[in-house]
Amino acid sequence: MEIEFQRVGKKYESGQEALSQVSFHLRQAEMAFLTGHSGAGKSTLMKLIMMIERQSTGNILVDGVDLSTLGKGAIPYHRRRVGVVFQNHQLLFDRSVFHNVALPLQVSGADDAQTGKRVRAALDKVGLLGKEKLNPMALSGGEQQRIGIARAVVNKPQLLLADEPTGNLDPRLSAEIMNLFQEFNRVGVTVLVASHDLALVARMRHRVLTLNQGHMVNDGGFS
Amino acid sequence: MAKPPQPSRRGATRQQRQAGKTKNPWRTGQRFDIKLYLRQHQAFLKESLGRLVGHPLASIMTILVIAISLSLPGGLFVLLKNVQSVTDQWEQQSVISLYLFPNQDDTQALSLSHQLSSRADVASVEYISKEEGLRYFEQSSGYEEIMSTLPENPLPIVLKVIPKAAVDLTTLPALQELRAHLQSLPQVEHAELDAEWLQRLATILDFGQRFVYAISALLVFAVLLIVGNTIRTAVESRRDEVLVMKLVGATNSYIRRPFLYMGFWFGVLGGVFATLCIILLTLWVSAPAEQLIELYHAEFELQSFNAVEIIICLTISALIGVIGSWIAVSRHIRDIELQ
Repeated sequence: MEIEFQRVGKKYESGQEALSQVSFHLRQAEMAFLTGHSGAGKSTLMKLIMMIERQSTGNILVDGVDLSTLGKGAIPYHRRRVGVVFQNHQLLFDRSVFHNVALPLQVSGADDAQTGKRVRAALDKVGLLGKEKLNPMALSGGEQQRIGIARAVVNKPQLLLADEPTGNLDPRLSAEIMNLFQEFNRVGVTVLVASHDLALVARMRHRVLTLNQGHMVNDGGFS
Repeated sequence: MAKPPQPSRRGATRQQRQAGKTKNPWRTGQRFDIKLYLRQHQAFLKESLGRLVGHPLASIMTILVIAISLSLPGGLFVLLKNVQSVTDQWEQQSVISLYLFPNQDDTQALSLSHQLSSRADVASVEYISKEEGLRYFEQSSGYEEIMSTLPENPLPIVLKVIPKAAVDLTTLPALQELRAHLQSLPQVEHAELDAEWLQRLATILDFGQRFVYAISALLVFAVLLIVGNTIRTAVESRRDEVLVMKLVGATNSYIRRPFLYMGFWFGVLGGVFATLCIILLTLWVSAPAEQLIELYHAEFELQSFNAVEIIICLTISALIGVIGSWIAVSRHIRDIELQ
């Protein structure tokens, strides 16, 4: 999936200007990191791509389609093509690992056989095959994060968004998670990861977009 | 992926822009799959019942409140039905008494009598002359002495018209029409249909019917509110789930569905309990009610809900459940937005 921001600005109703004049182009099958101090606008940028928020100015093109031309009814179908790992909106603890991961498939109406196959494939990729019947509560923080990733990729999305996916994890687990994203990217998925873990980002050797107070201050190689 | 035509924003009317907004470039090619649709519905039906069973105490309370609210109009309906079936059997020989003007003599009156008895809806006409009338009056009233002091016979000629139909609640309107027609004849001073108590009964029944409708409307509204409130709480308690579902691309109608089914179950189960209540109640009062009616020498068997009425009752209660939850859930799901 291809993402293009054209001089995008976002001003919240409170008057706070979260993004201003942000332009960048993320190509098909590209992987990039989004960095910046907290409050720099990383989350806002991700929300705009997910159509959780709408931009105030500028255009956002996804595969050439201007998101501002899409009505409310189109939002669910847009979101089905994007896998997200957000820190809040995590797992549901009233159901098993399997049913957490299966949610995107159920929502888009996959049949049971297909669902079972895809869920197990996704869990296999994140190394949790065999724990599908457990409640997520019974798993460790790192494993829970990987359930979230399995849920994000189970639908074979064309774009993977991750907002601070390594937030509470130790360096070894963080590296594992990042490697997972890299693997998805290798099979053609466009990946955008927001992280403030600069050391980790630098090690990954990918394109880095840096936000500072809503402005894109750096777009280029790893710093 | 093919690039969809971009609506030009400049110069486009608001309407055109709106139309452009509803276009969905990624939805095209997805065909409506009836099998999938049915399978999803079946799954939701089961799941929502499971949720009801999962909170047995709260569910039973709600169902009982609905049942009680529904059994009141249902019970009144059965009562009304029985009163109607009893009164339908009550009939009497109908008589329309025509009191002729005093200026009518016997010849004129007799010719009117012949004319009336040839009518299709009249069985016979009994002729009562002034003298006969006086005799009846003296015999029955005991006013013989007073009558004998009067200079002349004050009584008019009376024609007793016996219509073919006996009078009961169903024939009453036609007989009233006949009476009005006879009243309009030039020879007739006053026409009287001897069915006053039946007329009163008809009015009372009409009143009863309206009363039942009004009570039913109020209680149906109450059930809508009960279901709405229960569903609102259910949506609120599943807020996280609704948010995650929105995040992974669930449409609002998909999110709404389990709650609609929940409303459906509340409605149906409330209806089942209401029906049970009414049937038990009728069984309980049937013995004394039948004894009471027997005192009036009438054939009577207390009627309860029949099969058709049970189906109607359940359908209505299911509909109320779905509508109540629809109202609550539509409002509420829109309010729960990702942030």
